[in-house]
Amino acid sequence: MTIRVLDPSNERHAADAQLAERAVSLRGKTVGFISNGKEGTKSYFKHLERMLREELGVADVVWRTKSNYSAPAEAEIVDEIKKWHAVVAGVGD
Amino acid sequence: MGPQIVTTHEQPTSKPPLTSKVYDVADFAAAQELFHSNGWTDGLPVVPPTRPAVEACLQWAAMAPDQLLGVEPVREQPITAEKVAINAVMAGCLPMHFPVVATALHAMLQEEYLLHGVTSSTGGCAALIVINGPIRLEIGANATFNALGNSDRATSVVGRAVRLALINLMDVRPGGIDRSTLGHPGKFSYCLAEDEEDTTWEPLSVVRGLPLGASAVTVMAAMAPRQIMNEWTTDPKEILETFAAEMRANQLNYSIYGGNYAIIIPKQLREHIQAAGWKKRDIGEFLYERARVRRGDWATVGKGSVVRDRADRIHPALQSPDHLLVVAAGGPAGGFGAVIAPWMGSKTKAVTAAIGACVDCAPPNT
Repeated sequence: MTIRVLDPSNERHAADAQLAERAVSLRGKTVGFISNGKEGTKSYFKHLERMLREELGVADVVWRTKSNYSAPAEAEIVDEIKKWHAVVAGVGD
Repeated sequence: MGPQIVTTHEQPTSKPPLTSKVYDVADFAAAQELFHSNGWTDGLPVVPPTRPAVEACLQWAAMAPDQLLGVEPVREQPITAEKVAINAVMAGCLPMHFPVVATALHAMLQEEYLLHGVTSSTGGCAALIVINGPIRLEIGANATFNALGNSDRATSVVGRAVRLALINLMDVRPGGIDRSTLGHPGKFSYCLAEDEEDTTWEPLSVVRGLPLGASAVTVMAAMAPRQIMNEWTTDPKEILETFAAEMRANQLNYSIYGGNYAIIIPKQLREHIQAAGWKKRDIGEFLYERARVRRGDWATVGKGSVVRDRADRIHPALQSPDHLLVVAAGGPAGGFGAVIAPWMGSKTKAVTAAIGACVDCAPPNT
């Protein structure tokens, strides 16, 4: 006997989103780091900053840290992203 | 932190349509394969969610299918009564269980619960659900033997329905949003009722600000229960010292930060504490003072590298006495109890919400 059942999922598709323009080169650019604030991010981002500056010629690296590692970044931090050419939203543990 | 009241619609005069996609399957076994292959289960068989079963849940709770129980705040995912009812049926819920499920999810969608954080964390907590008020008796929710072990239909299906809703409505699947390193068995279902008939203490929901006689749920992002035993004293302080020691152990071995802790006190130990005239508030004050550790003690459990220059800093397990959730539950014999630690300090907070599905209840002061 056929059973008619209902879909339990949210049936929603990800809202249309447009990707920011991709950077062709990071030379002379500003890169932002949004850290979740966990212990492991400190040495990771420090190393990444050195690589970005020395190997890719990044001009400036801006560090920001979320106040709660389990919650989205504060609106002020998200607002700052538009001033940067690239952003690394790192999850470190 | 405060209690939330779930308001319900008036009983609809005509049945509003369900809008979920429909699948026709050959039989019960085919339904299982459909649900398992789509990742819609927790691994156990599910009850096929048919339209009549889902409509019966909505009708019982007097909810329209599109009634919003809340919006998942990070990805802005609306959580509707229809979708929750589908997941409740799958979990094995009867219509009478559905208001408890709906209210638990509504509570979990409050900002202070930090739903995305607690469900996506590597920490691996589960939603502890404590049921208070008359609805416990109406649905037969267990508060005695095996209280934390899902020995009855009501608590088993309520807790399971919440998990299935997280999986299907918020993509909280292991490896997806759920990044738990270990998780714990409470993820299948972590629900119990308070034994209000066999205690002199106020129900948890009343302690947390709801009126006596209101049905309610309290949700908490919780780690696995840590069982304690002390059958060798009748002194409340000595009994509670054992609970305090377990809380301190959790602080050192898991997370040092203070937050909502729940403790489950079964009858044998409860009667000694009650006989001495102690209320839940007294327990909270005692454990607030006793359950605290010195940061430097991290060095004794292998965490010396994070003590730094703050060895003398004192960390209480509770930020204040009222952050303790005392629950009277458990079988009548045995000098046991349980400490249930928060997922991660005070980043998440327990939420208590009234179950507002009783459309026949008289309004206040009549």
